[in-house]
Amino acid sequence: MKMILELSKVGISFETPRGSFEALKEVDLKIGEGEFISLIGHSGCGKSTVLNIVAGLLQATSGGAILDGKEVYEPGPERAVVFQNHSLLPWLTAYENVELAVKRVFKGKKSKAEMREWIEHNLSLVHMSHAMDKRPDEISGGMKQRVGIARALAMQPRVLLMDEPFGALDALTRAHLQDSLMDIHRKLGNTVIMITHDVDEAVLLSDRIVMMTNGPSATIGEVLDVPLPRPRDRLALADDPLFNRCRQRVLQFLYEKQRKVQPISLPIDSKKKNKKEERKHG
Amino acid sequence: MSSITMPGWIEPYLSVVKGEASRAQVAQLLRQIGLPVLGLLTFIFLWHIAAQRIDTSLGKFPGPSDVSQQVSTLYAEHKAGRAKEKAFYQRQEVRIEDRVAADPDYVPVRRDYTGSPTFFDQIITSLITVMCGFLVASVIAIPLGIVIGLSTSVHAATNPLIQLFKPVSPLAWLPLVTMVVSAVYVSDDPMVAKSFVVSMITVSLCSLWPTLINTSVGVTSVSQDLVNVSRVLRLGWAEHVRKIVIPSALPMIFTGLRLSLGIAWMVLIAAEMLAQNPGLGKFVWDEFQNGSSQSLGRIMVAVLTIGLIGFLLDRTMLGLQRWLVWDKQSAQR
Amino acid sequence: MRMSWGKLRTAAKACAAICALTITSLSVAEVGYPEKEELKFGFIKLTDMAPLAIAYEKGFFEDEGLYVTLEAQANWKVLLDRVIDGQLDGAHMLAGQPLGATIGFGTQAHIITAFSMDLNGNGITVSNAVWDEMKKHVPMKDGKPVHPIKADALKPVVEKYRAEGKPFNLGMVFPVSTHNYELRYWLAAGGIHPGYYAPAKGDTSGQLKADVLLSVTPPPQMPATMEAGTIYGYCVGEPWNQQAVFKGIGVPVITDYEIWKNNPEKVFGVSKEWADKYPNTHIRVVKAMIRAAQWLDENNNANRPEAVKILAKPNYVGADAEVIANSMTGTFEYEKGDKRSVPDFNVFFRYNATFPYYSDAIWYLTQMRRWGQISDTKPDSWYTETAKKVYRPDIYAIAAKELIAEGKVKAADFPDFASEDGFRPPQKEFIDGVEYNGRTPNAYLESLKIGLKAKDKM
Ligand SMILES: Nc1ncnc2c1ncn2[C@@H]1O[C@H](COP(=O)(O)OP(=O)(O)OP(=O)(O)O)[C@@H](O)[C@H]1O
Ligand SMILES: [Mg+2]
Repeated sequence: MKMILELSKVGISFETPRGSFEALKEVDLKIGEGEFISLIGHSGCGKSTVLNIVAGLLQATSGGAILDGKEVYEPGPERAVVFQNHSLLPWLTAYENVELAVKRVFKGKKSKAEMREWIEHNLSLVHMSHAMDKRPDEISGGMKQRVGIARALAMQPRVLLMDEPFGALDALTRAHLQDSLMDIHRKLGNTVIMITHDVDEAVLLSDRIVMMTNGPSATIGEVLDVPLPRPRDRLALADDPLFNRCRQRVLQFLYEKQRKVQPISLPIDSKKKNKKEERKHG
Repeated sequence: MSSITMPGWIEPYLSVVKGEASRAQVAQLLRQIGLPVLGLLTFIFLWHIAAQRIDTSLGKFPGPSDVSQQVSTLYAEHKAGRAKEKAFYQRQEVRIEDRVAADPDYVPVRRDYTGSPTFFDQIITSLITVMCGFLVASVIAIPLGIVIGLSTSVHAATNPLIQLFKPVSPLAWLPLVTMVVSAVYVSDDPMVAKSFVVSMITVSLCSLWPTLINTSVGVTSVSQDLVNVSRVLRLGWAEHVRKIVIPSALPMIFTGLRLSLGIAWMVLIAAEMLAQNPGLGKFVWDEFQNGSSQSLGRIMVAVLTIGLIGFLLDRTMLGLQRWLVWDKQSAQR
Repeated sequence: MRMSWGKLRTAAKACAAICALTITSLSVAEVGYPEKEELKFGFIKLTDMAPLAIAYEKGFFEDEGLYVTLEAQANWKVLLDRVIDGQLDGAHMLAGQPLGATIGFGTQAHIITAFSMDLNGNGITVSNAVWDEMKKHVPMKDGKPVHPIKADALKPVVEKYRAEGKPFNLGMVFPVSTHNYELRYWLAAGGIHPGYYAPAKGDTSGQLKADVLLSVTPPPQMPATMEAGTIYGYCVGEPWNQQAVFKGIGVPVITDYEIWKNNPEKVFGVSKEWADKYPNTHIRVVKAMIRAAQWLDENNNANRPEAVKILAKPNYVGADAEVIANSMTGTFEYEKGDKRSVPDFNVFFRYNATFPYYSDAIWYLTQMRRWGQISDTKPDSWYTETAKKVYRPDIYAIAAKELIAEGKVKAADFPDFASEDGFRPPQKEFIDGVEYNGRTPNAYLESLKIGLKAKDKM
C-alpha cells in the first residue's frame, strides 16, 4: 500500500504559566492511502494534539508530519478537518457553509453551475439536501455535524481529519452517521483519521486502531489491525468473534494497561484552562 | 379555519375580540398593554399633582395640560413660519424681477429663507447632525476596532489612549473643537455651517468609544474554532476579515453602535446648548434664556421630544440589528 | 467691445466705492448692489436689539437686497468671537466691545462700527434683602423714594456685609460692557470702590482694591443668578430688570438714564476686514437699520406696542410681552407698583441716537483707563485716533444721505454732515455732575474722584 502520511518522532511541548508541559513524545505512525485510522485514548492524552499537528494547526516541537513526502507546516484544504463541535459559521446556511469551502478549493477549476452541483451532491451524501437553506441554529446537532462532514468532504481532501465527529450525538443518530461515513469511505476511498472515545465505533469503522498512552509525554501504546472484511454490517458484527476480540483488545488496553491513576478532574480542568489560554493568544 | 396566516402577536387580540379568549390570554393581554398604560397614566397623574406644587419664578411647573397646549402652540408657530417662508419667496421673486429690469446683466440668485427655524426645523437639524456625527464615528470606529481586535500589538499601543479619551465629556471637547474648526475650516462659501461641523465632530468624538471598544472585543473573541476553519481553508487576510471576523463580531459591533447612538444623541443636545449650534439643544437654551411664562412648558415639550426621539433612534437601531445580524439572541431588548 | 464695457463697469464700481468712502464728497454717489447678499447677524436677548428685529420684520433689509438671518448668541464673548472668525457678518455689540477688541483688551481684533443702536436702556437692580436695608438710607417723599437713588444709600449696606466677612457680589454682563462702566460710575459716585483691572499683570478680574466684587453673568441669566444668591444685584439691559420685578425677586434702583442722561449704549459692530471687503453691503445694512430706528421712535413712540409684540417672539427677546412693554413703552417699574414715566428710557432714533460720535467712543476709552483696563497713561491724541479707527461716521453719513435722497428720512433728523466733526458738546448730565469733554480725556480723568489718574499705572 502507498504511504500517504508519516508521523516521525513527533513531540510537542506547550508553554504554560507553570512551565513547559510535554504533551506528546516520539509519536511514530505511517498511514497508507485510503486507510481508515482511529485514534483512541483517555481524555486529555493528546489525541486532538496529534490531529492538529497533522492538520497543521499546531507545530510539532520536534519531529514532524510528512504528507506526500512534504513536511506539513501550515493548514490547508487538502487536509480537511471535521471539528469536535462542528464549527459551522453560524451566520451562513448549510449550503453557504459548504459553498465557502468549495469556492476556496475549486475557484477557477469549476464553473458556477458545477460548484452548485458539487455542493448539493455533498450535502446529499450526508442526507442534508432537505435542509440546505437552514442556518446552524435552525438544525439539530446531528445535522450540524453532517454539514461539517459535507463541508470537509466537499474539499476533496487527501486526508480527512475528524475529531470526535459523533461525540455529542445520541446513539441512534450516531449509528446512522457511522453508516453514512462507511458508505462514503467505500465510495470515495479517502484516507481518514478519526478520533473517538467509543470502542465499538473504532472497531466498526477502522482498518487500524491507534491506542495512545496517558499523558504527559503521551505516545502510541499499541496499534491494532482490524481485519474485518468490508462492507461491514453492524448487526452481523455484533456476534462476530473477530469483532469481539478486537473490541476486547482495545478495552484491555484502555482499562488495564492505561488505567487512569490520577483523579479524572485534573486534566480536564487544565485542558479548559489551556483552551482559554489558546484563545487569548490566537 | 381560514387559510390566511396571521402574525403571531395578533392572535390573542383576535380571540379576545371574538370572545373566545381563555383567562390566561386575557391576563397576558392585560400584562402587555394594561401595565404600560397604567404606568403612563400614573406618571401623568403624579406629574400633574407635582407640577401644581412646584412654584418657580416663572410660574408653576408645567403640567401635562400646559405641555399639550404648548405642543399646539409650537405647531401653530411652525405653520406660521411656513406661511412667512412662502411670502418671503414671493417677495424675492418680485425683487429679482425688478432688479433684472434695472440691471439686465444680473444673473438671479435665489436665496434660502432667512426666518428663524421652528421647533420642528430644530428637530430635523438635530437629527441630521446626530446622524452625520454618528456616521463619522462609525466609519472611524469600526475599521479601527477591527484592526485593534486583530492585532495584539496595536491593541497594546492604543488601549491606554482609548481608556484616556473614553471618559471625556463633550463639554471638555467643545472649546477645543470650536477653536480648531475655526482655524482649519476656512472657506468663503462653506458647504456646511461651521456650527454644524463643530457639533458633528463633538458628537463623533464622544460617541466613537463604545463602537470602537465593542468592535475590538467582538473581533478578539471570534471563536478559535472559526479561526481554525479559516486557517484550514487558507483564507487570505482580507477574506478572513470579511468572511469570518466581521460577521462573527457583528452582534458586538451592533451593541456598540446602539450605545454610541444613545451617547451621540445625549452629547448632541449638550453640545448644541453649549455651542449655540442650531438644534433642539439650542431651542432649550433659548427658551431658558427667554424666561417667559411659557418657557418652562416649551422646554418640557422639548424634553419629552428628546426622550421620544432617543427612544425611537434606539428602536431603529434595534430593528436594523434584528434585520442584519444573524445572532437574534443579541438583539433581544 | 464687450471687454471694454466690462472694464468700464468695474472701473465705475471702484470709483463709486472710493467716492462712497469719502465723507466730504459733495454729491452722493449711488451705492452699488451688495457684494454679499446672505448675511447672518448675532444678537443678545435684550430689548435694544430691536433695530435688527425691526429691520428684518419690516423688510428694510430686503429692501436693500439683503437676506439676513438673525441668531441669538449665548453671551457677549461668543458673539464677539463669532464676528471675529466670520461665523457672523455682524452683531449687536456693547459699545465697549469694538473699542476693547481693537486696542487688544481681551480678544484682539479690529472691529468697527458705523451705527449706534440706542441710548440708555439699562438699569441696576438689587435683591429684595439688599433693598430692604438700602431703603432706610434713601430719602423719601410722599411715601416714595426720591429718585435718582445714589449709591450713597448702598454704601452702609456694603460696609455691613464686609464687616460680617461676606463679599458683596454684583453682576455685570461683560468686562467692556456699558453695564460694567455704568455700575462702576454709579458705585464710585457714591464712594464705593468697584476695583481695578491689571491686564499687564494678568489680572482681568477687575477686583483689585474693590469694596464690591463685580463679575460677569450673561444678561438673560441675571435674575436666576440673583435668585440663587450668587450675586446681590446687577446692572443689565431690559427686560431683565423688569423681569426681577415681575418675578418678585429684586428691585431696580436706578436706570442708566439717571446715571448719564442719553448715554450711548449698543452699537452694530462688524470686523474691519469684513467692512473693507463688502463696503456696499455695509452701507446698505446701516441704511436698513437707520430706517428701523426711525420706525421705532416714529410719531412719539407710536409703534412701540407693535415692536413689543415682535420682540416677545421666542426667536428674539422671548420674554413675556408685558415685561418688555414695561420699559419699551416709556415707563419703568421700580419697586413693585412704583411705575414711573421714563419716556426716554429707550431711545433708538431721537437725539441723533444712531450717529456714531467719536466723543462717545472716547468716553468708553476714558472708563477703560479709569479702571485699569488700559494699563498706561495715553495722550489725548491717542484717544481721538483710536476712536476714529473704530467709530465710522463716514460710512454712516453715506447711508443717511442715500436715505435722504431716496426720501425715506428727513435731513433735519440728522446732524449737518458738512460741519459735523463727531464730537458732542461737553456734557454735564451725569449723576455726580462732573463735566465730560471728549476732546480732553486726560483732564476728565483727573476730575473723577475714584479711579486711575494720568500718572498711575497698574
Ligand atoms: N495550547 C495548549 N497549551 C497547553 N497545554 C495544552 C494545549 N493544548 C492541549 N494541551 C494539553 O495537552 C494535553 C493533550 O490535550 P488534547 O486536547 O490533545 O487531549 P485529547 O486527548 O484530545 O483529550 P479529549 O479526548 O478530552 O479531547 C492535555 O493535557 C492538555 O491540557
Ligand atoms: Mg480532543
